[in-house]
Amino acid sequence: MSDAIVLKGLTKTFGEKVAVDNLDLTVPQGALYGVIGPNGAGKTTAIRMILSILFPDRGELSVLGRPSALEAKDRIGYLPEERGLYKKMKVGAFLAYMARLKSADGPDLRDRVRAWLERVGLADDENKRCEELSKGMQQKAQFVAAVIHRPDLVILDEPFSGLDPVNQRLLRELVLEEHRRGATVLFSTHIMIHAEQLCDHVVMIHEGRKVLDDTIADIRARYDPRSLLFEPFGGHADVSPAETLPGVAAMRQDGVAWDVALEAGADPLRVMRAISEVIPVSRLEIRRPTLEDVFVRIVTGDAASATEDAARLLEGLRGPAAAEVRS
Amino acid sequence: MSKMLHVAVREFLATVATKGFIIGMLVTPLLIAIMIVVMPRLINEAPPRVEGELAVIDPTGEVAPGVREYLKPEALALRREEFRKNLEEATPEALRKVSGVDAQTRQALDAALGEVPKIDVVALDPGVDLETAKAPLREAREQHEGESEGRLALIVVHPDAVTPASEGATYGGYDLFVKEKLDDRIDDEIRSGVREAIVDARIRASGLDREAVQALTHVDRARSTTVSASGERETNRIFQMLLPAVMMGLLLMSVLTSGQYLLTSTVEEKSNRVVEVLLSAVSPMQLMVGKILGQMAVGILILILYAGLAVAALMSFAMMGLLDIKLVILLFVFYLLAYLTIASFMAAIGSAVNEMREAQTLMTPVMVLIMIPWMLWMPISRDPNSTFATVMSFLPPVSNFVILLRLASSSPPPMWQVLLALIAGAAGAFVAVWFAAKVFRIGLLMYGKPPSFATLVRWARMA
Repeated sequence: MSDAIVLKGLTKTFGEKVAVDNLDLTVPQGALYGVIGPNGAGKTTAIRMILSILFPDRGELSVLGRPSALEAKDRIGYLPEERGLYKKMKVGAFLAYMARLKSADGPDLRDRVRAWLERVGLADDENKRCEELSKGMQQKAQFVAAVIHRPDLVILDEPFSGLDPVNQRLLRELVLEEHRRGATVLFSTHIMIHAEQLCDHVVMIHEGRKVLDDTIADIRARYDPRSLLFEPFGGHADVSPAETLPGVAAMRQDGVAWDVALEAGADPLRVMRAISEVIPVSRLEIRRPTLEDVFVRIVTGDAASATEDAARLLEGLRGPAAAEVRS
Repeated sequence: MSKMLHVAVREFLATVATKGFIIGMLVTPLLIAIMIVVMPRLINEAPPRVEGELAVIDPTGEVAPGVREYLKPEALALRREEFRKNLEEATPEALRKVSGVDAQTRQALDAALGEVPKIDVVALDPGVDLETAKAPLREAREQHEGESEGRLALIVVHPDAVTPASEGATYGGYDLFVKEKLDDRIDDEIRSGVREAIVDARIRASGLDREAVQALTHVDRARSTTVSASGERETNRIFQMLLPAVMMGLLLMSVLTSGQYLLTSTVEEKSNRVVEVLLSAVSPMQLMVGKILGQMAVGILILILYAGLAVAALMSFAMMGLLDIKLVILLFVFYLLAYLTIASFMAAIGSAVNEMREAQTLMTPVMVLIMIPWMLWMPISRDPNSTFATVMSFLPPVSNFVILLRLASSSPPPMWQVLLALIAGAAGAFVAVWFAAKVFRIGLLMYGKPPSFATLVRWARMA
C-alpha cells in the first residue's frame, strides 16, 4: 500500500520564527495518526502545508500520491482549527455548498446532507441559519462539511476543542467510523488523552521539530521508565527490606509512595511479587508512561535543554533499553 | 472552473437574495421618479401672494410711472404666462406630460391673476429724508392673510439715472432698500421693473423710439439642428449635457456598489473564519475569481436594471434616436474593465483586514481613485478633446470613466483613442487582478495587526 502523506525535510519560516523545521513524516494509507504538541508547536503550519494552503520554504511533500494537495483537493476532507460558517446561510445549504465545492454534487446530495445531519443530531436544524446554532452544533456541522464528500484523507486540526464530553464522544465515534470506512485520518490535538484514546500512531511536534513518531504501544514500551511504584500499608512501615531484593537498583521516596528503579534485565512481575512478600503494601504498580508524561517532559524541560532533552529521549528510545524490551 | 462558478453563484445569491439589496434596488429608482415628478412642481411654485407698497424716491420724475406700470397685476400675470409658454417650448413633449408641466401651466395661469402680488407703487417727495423713508422697512408687522404688509422696499433713483450729469459722463443708477425676509422673486420683479423703467426713460430722453430700438436689437434665436451621417435632427442640448453625466453615474454606481459588496463579503468570510474551510476545497485564486465573478454579475444586474429603465424611458418619450446603442454596449465593456480593477483592490483589502473598520483606512486611496472621475466630469465634458482629457483616457482605472464620458459627449474621441483606452483599461485590470491574487493568498490567513498599503505591496512582491 502506498503512503497517504509523505513529507521530506519540510521547513517553513515566518520572518525570524521557524514554524516547522525539517519535518519528515510518512502516514500510510488507512492509518489513524495523531499529531500532538503544545500550542504554537507548528502543528497547524504543518497541516496547512500538507494541504497546500501554505507552501514550504524547503522540502518535498506528496499527498495521496500527488506532489501537491491542490491536485487531490476533492479527495481530502479538512477541518481547520480556524473554522467558521456563513452566519446567514442555512445549515443544509451550507453543507450542500461545501459538497459541491468538493465536486460531490449529484441528485442524492440533499439526502446525503439530511442523513449526515441526522447522524450528528441536527436533523431539525437543516433550515436554520448557521448563526442560530450553538457552538458545539456548529462544530458538528463543520465536521460534516469536512467529510460529506467521503474523502480518502481526513485531516482534522484540533477537532475536539470546545466540545462537551458527550459531543467529544460522538466526534470520536465519527472519526473512528471514517477510519473504518478506509479513510486515512490525521488529526492534531494538544490534549493527549484524545490521542491516546483514538490513534494507533502518534507524532509529536515541539518547536517545529518532530520529537516523537511511533505507535502508542511502542511509545509505552520504549518510554517505559522501568520502575515500580508502591505505597506501604500504614504509611510508616520500614521499607528497607525491599532495597536489598534482587532486581532493585535504587529506591526513592515520592510523597507517600516509593519509586523503585529496576535493574536492567529484571522482571518487573517477579520484583513486585517479592516486594509484596517483604512489605505490606496498599498500592503496588508498574509505572506506565502516559503521553502526557512524555509531552510534559519534553515541553517543560527548560528552554535551553528542551531540544537536547528531546534528542536524548529519542536516543533513549532507540537505544539498548528499547531493544531489551523488544527481546 | 466549476468550483469558481459554484463560488460565484453563492456570492451572487448571497448578495442579491437579501431584503437589503431588493429594497435598495427598488427604492433608488423610486426616488428618481419622485424627483422627476415633484421637482418641476416645486420649481414652478408661484411666488407667495404679497400685498404691500413700494416707495420710490424719484428726482427725475421719469422712472416711477414706468415702475408702476411694470408692477401692475395684469402686467405681472401677462409676463408669467409668457414665461410659461417659453418653458413649455423648451421642455420636450414627452417629458412635459410626465412631469405634469402641461396641465399645471393652464391651472397656474388661471390662478395667476388672483395670485400675483399686489404692489402699490408710491412716489415719495424727492426732498424726503432718507431715514424717514426707510423707517417703515424696519417695522416688523404681524402677517395676516390678505392684509397689506406695509412698505416692502424703497427705491432711490439717482438724479443722473436718466440723463447724465454732464456731457460724456456715465448714467447713474438706483439704490434698493428692502425689508427683511422679502421673497427673492418679488425682489427680482422689483429690480427688473426699475431697470425697465429707467431704460425706457433714457430712450425717451434720447429722443429714440423704444419699439424701434427693440426691433433693432432683437434677433430670433435660431433652432439648432444636428447634422450627422444618420440624418438631421433637432439638437437637444439638455440631453447632450445630461447623457455623459448619466453614463458615468451609472458606471460609477454599479462599480462602487458591487465593489463594496465584494469587500464586505470578503471581510465577512475572513472574520467568520469560514475562509480556511473554503480553502480546503478551492484554491485562493479560484475563490477570489469566483467572488469577483459573482459580484460582477451583481453589478451587471444593477446596470441592466438602471440602463434598462433609462432606455425604456427614452423609448416611451420617443427619444430613442438620441441614444447611440453602441454607447450602451461600450458602457458594459468599460464597466467590466473598471469593475475588475476596483474589485481587485476591494478583494485584496478585504482579504488583508480582520474587520470592516480596519478596511476604511485602506479604502481611502481606492475611494480617491473612484472620485477622480467625478471631479473631472465638468472640465472633460466641456472640452472633451483637450490634451488633459486625452491623457486621462489612457490612465487606468480613471481611463474607463473618462473615455466613456468623452464618448457620450457631443464630440466623441476618434476610434484609435477608444481602442487605446480599451487596451489601457484591460492592462490596468490585469495588473490589479495580479496584485489582488498575490495579496489575497497571503492576506486570507493573516490575522492580527491590519496591514498598511505598503505592506500589501510587499506581500504582492513576496508571493
